[in-house]
Amino acid sequence: MRFQDASPDARAVVYAGIQADPLVARAAGLLADATHDQRILARAVMNGMSTTPGTWAAMFPSLFGAGAPSDGPERARSEAILALSLEVAERGEQVRSQVRGAIVESVTEALVRRRPGIGATSTAVRRERRVLFDGVRAEIHPYDVTVETPGAAEAIDCKWGARGINADVLHQLDDARTHAADEDEQLTATIVVFDAERSCAVRLERQTAPHDATRLIALEDLDRLGGR
Amino acid sequence: MDPITTVGAAIAAARPAYDDLAALAEDVEDEWSYINDLASAWVERFEAVVDAHGGEPAGTGVAEAVAALVTEAGLVDDPHRAIDWLSTFPQVLLVAVGERP
Repeated sequence: MRFQDASPDARAVVYAGIQADPLVARAAGLLADATHDQRILARAVMNGMSTTPGTWAAMFPSLFGAGAPSDGPERARSEAILALSLEVAERGEQVRSQVRGAIVESVTEALVRRRPGIGATSTAVRRERRVLFDGVRAEIHPYDVTVETPGAAEAIDCKWGARGINADVLHQLDDARTHAADEDEQLTATIVVFDAERSCAVRLERQTAPHDATRLIALEDLDRLGGR
Repeated sequence: MDPITTVGAAIAAARPAYDDLAALAEDVEDEWSYINDLASAWVERFEAVVDAHGGEPAGTGVAEAVAALVTEAGLVDDPHRAIDWLSTFPQVLLVAVGERP
């Protein structure tokens, strides 16, 4: 088993530009430290229709209401997440969809880098990589995030919503895991979804593609990415 | 609409907007059964919260939160976005009333 950069095709070039958007990095930094309610706020605003901050503040009394902190770091983060999410929402529909996807990937990478033994600059955590196996044709689509630590490798695919879970993704993740096992290597297959576990469970229940051995990390469990 | 003074009343006030989202989402015919399974799963969660805590007083700001959420849901006019909101709406509603999704 070995890892390889994805081919720099047209899709990769366009997507690299989106991933390099400073907005994506700012979002990843905020959401990696965010509470569950703050992450739901980001999800709602980035997929919402309204662009008036007061509308969203009213919707989240736990973050902005009378009982919420009126100042301090939690309040500052809530306000920063709201402002940043509105920036995403104000982009065109196609762009916002791409940016949301890039944000989920960047948050995932940021959290994975918090694992013991993996630092912020470790080369063990990579983006847009393929996993190659002897005698097996390479998958077309690279994995969003990979952890290339010997003995603890992981291939991670990231989705904005539960609806993004589909047979192709599940097959690719499970194939990687089983091909690794064929080579006596361990590879954890993980799907990260910026959506509620309940919604993911409904989506997965409908899938006939193998997924019992694929680890699901949903919105309420994102912090598990940092602890493995 | 009755005044929202309890958790049960908050969820009851939000339900019609959620049903409207589900109806809009059904325009995506390929996802019809997923949409219905998804909506059913969240309605079950709503009902469980009402059974357990429906009579408890709604916290400060809950009435305004439900009103804002219902208004926002009413602005969704694209069936694909409605599918995403079938999952987002319950999460917002439940954290507003102090419950975990």
